[in-house]
Amino acid sequence: MRYAVPAGIVAGSLVLAACGGGGGASSSDGAAAPSADALKSAKGVTTVSFWHAMDGKNAEVLNQLVSDFNAAHKGKIEVKSTYAGKYDDAITKYKAAIQSKSTPDVIQVYDIGTQFMIDAKQTVPMQSFIDRDKVDVSDLQPNIAGYYSIDKKLNSMPFNTSMPLLYINKTMFKKAGLDPDKPPTTLAEVRTAAEKLSKKNGGPADYGFGAAIYGWLLEQFMATSGAEYCDQANGRTGRAAGVNFAEGVNLEVVQWWQKMVKDGLAANTGRDTKAAQAAFKSGQLAMNLESTGQLSGYSDAAKQGGWEVGAVNYPHVAAGQTGGPIIGGASLWVNGVGHKDANKEASWQFVKYLAEPATQAKWHTGTGYFPNSKGALNQPVDVAYRKANPLFDVAVKQLEGTELNTATQGCLLGVMPQARKASEDGLEAALNGADPKAAMTKAADAVAAQIKTYNASVK
Amino acid sequence: MTVPTAVAGTARRKGAWAALVYLLPALVVFGVFIFWPLVKSMLLSVQGTDILGNPSGYVGFVNYGTLFTDPEFLTVLWVTFAFTILTVLPSIAIALFIALILHGRIRGVRFFRTAFALPFAFSVATASVIFGVLFNPASGVLNGILSHFGVGKVAWLTNPDLALWSVSGATVWMQIGYNLLVISAGLGALPDDVLEAARLDGASGFRLQRSIIMPLITPQLFFLVVVGTIHSLQSFGQIKILTVGGPEGRTTTLVYSIYEQAFANNNSNYGYASAQAMVLLLIVLIITALQFGVLERRVFYR
Repeated sequence: MRYAVPAGIVAGSLVLAACGGGGGASSSDGAAAPSADALKSAKGVTTVSFWHAMDGKNAEVLNQLVSDFNAAHKGKIEVKSTYAGKYDDAITKYKAAIQSKSTPDVIQVYDIGTQFMIDAKQTVPMQSFIDRDKVDVSDLQPNIAGYYSIDKKLNSMPFNTSMPLLYINKTMFKKAGLDPDKPPTTLAEVRTAAEKLSKKNGGPADYGFGAAIYGWLLEQFMATSGAEYCDQANGRTGRAAGVNFAEGVNLEVVQWWQKMVKDGLAANTGRDTKAAQAAFKSGQLAMNLESTGQLSGYSDAAKQGGWEVGAVNYPHVAAGQTGGPIIGGASLWVNGVGHKDANKEASWQFVKYLAEPATQAKWHTGTGYFPNSKGALNQPVDVAYRKANPLFDVAVKQLEGTELNTATQGCLLGVMPQARKASEDGLEAALNGADPKAAMTKAADAVAAQIKTYNASVK
Repeated sequence: MTVPTAVAGTARRKGAWAALVYLLPALVVFGVFIFWPLVKSMLLSVQGTDILGNPSGYVGFVNYGTLFTDPEFLTVLWVTFAFTILTVLPSIAIALFIALILHGRIRGVRFFRTAFALPFAFSVATASVIFGVLFNPASGVLNGILSHFGVGKVAWLTNPDLALWSVSGATVWMQIGYNLLVISAGLGALPDDVLEAARLDGASGFRLQRSIIMPLITPQLFFLVVVGTIHSLQSFGQIKILTVGGPEGRTTTLVYSIYEQAFANNNSNYGYASAQAMVLLLIVLIITALQFGVLERRVFYR
């Protein structure tokens, strides 16, 4: 054993040196899956470079999964994980890496970067691995796979998934004479509850409602009411040319939100999601819209503060609507251009492992992200976790009850990150007193111009 | 001198070569890290950019045209100037005030001098994170203190009319330490004979400070105005951490706008961002030239 370590390092560095040369002779076409024996014929250890955007506790859990994988493939595959910064920073680094021909083997990219990743033309579609190995993907939650599927083909492997929920402070509901077991289900009901909960009407909370100025929440309102965020059926039938957030459902939401703030029923805590989270945790807000990622943080805060937290389905804009939310989070992409077949194959093995029920159960229980695998929910560790955190079942039921259609599939747009930011510009202006229609139209026009430039450059 | 001219010429040439050799390290560093990026930015500013950030060909002055017809860009320029004024002048005035007090004979002056200069030791990122905690609308220290006086919650960073003041306030705090050090050094080097002469003539207190001390430290003040202005025009960290340019773009300075166009939200409009960078360069050059032209005449160099 004493000599095995240096030998391994030597082998590893040889592989690294080989990788440095870029596409070698054994590299096939960048966009296709290599033959299944690509890894078998590779000599020594194949090193897989993996860029992710997870920090804190999430990074700890992820690194544990990586070392489990490395232990199981000792001598054959070694995954080296690197924190590439938050989602935005990671994708910026990735662009620089494309230019310098040094992309990582695997990269984690946020949901709204999906169309960009396809247009960057660097990756091997996940579907080509799945088809080659005839993998049964029925274990993947259909709504999650739906987001990342284009023309019914899976481009990337979903990894970390979150969903939006309406969080309520049950203790305050009781104090205000409201039944916490009959939580609001529509915007009108949220307002009615907020009227009783807010301090200005003698309620227990400073503000009955409050959520960050976060474009993702607007996207969710559109999905739950069956509206499409961008044209061309949410970009699923062709390249979208414009966004719909300045009209219909979303305009109603912005108008409603503006009136809530104006009437002193909702707090405007700005764009920083942490500010709204802190306000809910400290009992200044009685209702808050946030992702499943806050489940454990809110539960801890409630325990410390001596109050009871509840989580319910994301509200509909109007009564009678049956739509559900869009999933958020990120997926894994395997880079093909300039990568050896052995690396692509090793990357696929790694990605496949991360999607397995057992791995997803560990990931879910360790981080609070939603498991992509249906089977993960049956793993003993997961069953026990949800028994201890019953609020999580709300998210599971919400997802299972969501019909997959183009509205809940979410918008596929090359400039989706910019569109989200623009919608925040519009909402922020409205909450500070601007005319909602004018503010959202200005934002939508800005996006239309960006889409035009983007679409022209990928033609 | 009996040295023949030919030899003198050779010596001079030798001297020039030696000078070049000594300058070489600096020239290489400047060339690689300052001048080459400058040239590159100029080239990028007249090119389009594809989705990966690659230059997509010469487009002439299209980027500049877009820039100057964009009404938002006027807001950006206005915010940049307002931010500069709001940070440079107060940070020098407050530092001067503290330095003059500390210049007197007070007990424990060393302790106070160190304490007041301490902000200089904080990185912009650290200080910004701390100010973020102070400004927090829900659990912030500032609102906690104000609530004892019956003042309701102040939206320090989310009120469009207040955000720039808050960020400027934080920046002033960050700059005071450095300004204090420079002014204190100036005060410490005041010539005793001049002060003594003034005192003998009956000048004291305010009169001494206004007519004798102030003119004598104008070189330090001028230095701080020039350096502080350039520093403020290039501020980035506190805006990124405290407001991300919001609310409603009311804290988006030129540098932050460049960052947003080039790197944020999956943008990679390097062409457009480079055009903005050229404008920034021009502004810095003009302001610095103006400062040297107008202010320096009033500087008293001994």
